[in-house]
Amino acid sequence: MRLSASPRRASGGVDAVELDAPRAFARWLAANRRALGDVLEHGTWLDRDDVNALLDLSIPGIDELLGILEIARLSESDYERIVIDTAPTGHTLRLLAAPDTVAAVAEILDALQEQHRIIRDQLARVGRVEASDRLIAMLAAQARDTAERLRDRRQTTFRWVTLPEAMSLAESEDGVGALEQSGLHVDAIVVNRVLPDGAPCPICDRRRAAERRVVATIRRRLGRGRSVLLVPAQLREPHGQRGLAALGRVMAHGSGLMARRSWRKAEPSAIDHLPSAISHQPWRGAHSAAPESIAAFQRASLLFFGGKGGVGKTTVSAAAALRIAKADKKRRVLLLSTDPAHSLADVFQATVGDTARRLPRGPRNLEVRELDAAHAFAARRVQLEAALDEIAAAFGAGAVSASAGSTPELVKLAPPGIDELFGILSVVDARSAYDLVVVDTAPTGHALRLLEMPDAAREWTQVLMRVLLKYKSLVRPGQLASELVEISKSIRALQALMRDGARTRFIVVTRAAEVPRAETARLLARLRALRLAAPAIVVNALTMSPGRCARCRATAAAERREVSALRRLCRGRCAMIEAPLAAPPPRGARALDEWARRWRQPDSSQGHKGQQRTQREKQEA
Amino acid sequence: MFILDSILIGSLRFVLEKVVAAAEAEMNDDTALRDQLLEAQMQLELGEITEKEFARIERDVLARIREIKRPQQGALTMSPEDKITGVDIESFEPDEER
Repeated sequence: MRLSASPRRASGGVDAVELDAPRAFARWLAANRRALGDVLEHGTWLDRDDVNALLDLSIPGIDELLGILEIARLSESDYERIVIDTAPTGHTLRLLAAPDTVAAVAEILDALQEQHRIIRDQLARVGRVEASDRLIAMLAAQARDTAERLRDRRQTTFRWVTLPEAMSLAESEDGVGALEQSGLHVDAIVVNRVLPDGAPCPICDRRRAAERRVVATIRRRLGRGRSVLLVPAQLREPHGQRGLAALGRVMAHGSGLMARRSWRKAEPSAIDHLPSAISHQPWRGAHSAAPESIAAFQRASLLFFGGKGGVGKTTVSAAAALRIAKADKKRRVLLLSTDPAHSLADVFQATVGDTARRLPRGPRNLEVRELDAAHAFAARRVQLEAALDEIAAAFGAGAVSASAGSTPELVKLAPPGIDELFGILSVVDARSAYDLVVVDTAPTGHALRLLEMPDAAREWTQVLMRVLLKYKSLVRPGQLASELVEISKSIRALQALMRDGARTRFIVVTRAAEVPRAETARLLARLRALRLAAPAIVVNALTMSPGRCARCRATAAAERREVSALRRLCRGRCAMIEAPLAAPPPRGARALDEWARRWRQPDSSQGHKGQQRTQREKQEA
Repeated sequence: MFILDSILIGSLRFVLEKVVAAAEAEMNDDTALRDQLLEAQMQLELGEITEKEFARIERDVLARIREIKRPQQGALTMSPEDKITGVDIESFEPDEER
């Protein structure tokens, strides 16, 4: 069914709503524009036109801020229970920190309004509360109440959903730890897509053994005081009311998978020490397509890898960066993760941090980095405080810098949107030092935010520069102005680079299943709207040699149908690259290298056309 | 009255600061010129002026900065012990390079 921005009946007693943050913000702004505009006009020397220009800017992190305001609004409605399907790990942590940002914003608005309030109360002797005062009080109350409600165990519980994979385990440990640290209670761990018992099969057996080990570790490390629910992998994705109700029953009564006794016995077995089994078999109608030989990857300076959460973006981008670096030793390659929930370290089984470094035993021309936006933000705190003070001075908002309470507070927090902002800044910085930057992005929604960031940031610098020029007789365009000019220049260069299909490409990673395919369709449409080249789709974890296993055969048949549907989605505009299922997924440089060698590309006209298009784009450039 | 005072003094201080800043800018023309260049850079980024117009402004401003710098540098190299024993007059064409 199609969901709208306001709750709609999905089935008996259940209403559903999909939050469209930019639209919800536009609605919120329409309702509060006057009051908000008044505060900005009273507290600064900006006029209505300036204020309107500022209010119309797109705000990084708006999804999380609006998410928290919507949660506040819905929790005051008549619903008995509200179930929230959050964004993947990294951004959920930002969402849960959003009340603090809303509180800081309310404080800044309050400081701006203060002088107006004094004049009104003391000089004009008008004690009336204005709409602006009500808005500030409402924001502060919503932030406070939501923060309290989220931390109140009787009102809020958190269910952590994960996959039985080593990489998801590491992410879960980090995520659950961060949630508990910020005072949120996680009462259950749901392990989804656990392979049920079945007939012997080289691939399935390997998968079961690896999953069993991961589930045992989950129970040991995260299961204390929590229930661990296992949901069996299904041949058909559960959707529609019937499918979801069946899933709900499993969640409520348990699946009987890996009963307690059996997991206790799950000792590392001989099979675990073997390298991963790859479901690979070259077949007629396809040719080998190791990453370095794929036209869509060649001669690019910026390669983004993105897709739905859990499709294997990090594994695919890591293998691609590794093979590309190995193939041309003269090319300096940086693999940069901008997902706040990093997994590069887990994929490479090596230490990876915020400073770019070489991998032990990896190619010398490859460096990897996991961007720590919160850390980068904290490191630039002094500069940011100075910049905010300069902005406040340029706006004539002396009250904000003078009160000094809320601005530093805002700088102390890692506000939503910083992952995208610092992500794009790191790409800008890295361009000069590397020939190729491979970006492992956060799942779809936030990857799109990252790609939209240059446009949004350029708008911000332009509005700020206009204000500086307008009030230049009052405030000298000092350090802030020169920084804005520099930022504007870099963003302009980045925009040109990103719109140049010969140099920048977005590689969509997906799986041959219905839900990821639907998300791939939406992602491709958005990329086209952003005028970004998407010359290839990597379909990950395909069962290529099902053998005699009934489950593998059924899976392979379902996947073939999905691959055909994906090919139709491409409409000859992109190459289809097929990556085989590996059980367990490849970890470490050697396994990644081995796995990527088995990628293949069907000899279809679509793939060929996709390649031709890339060649043409190159020539045009 | 405390509140009224704080507003009045705050405003007065603000105005005085601006006056001082303006006076300083007048005294040190170099700063004013640099600001002018920065303004032109912002206008260029905003698309309010063309590259050509910017190049012209940049040339003018840099020429003026050089003019200001020359006598200032002369004054700076003199110490109180220095004595002027004579004056050499030299004429030159303005530098057109930049």
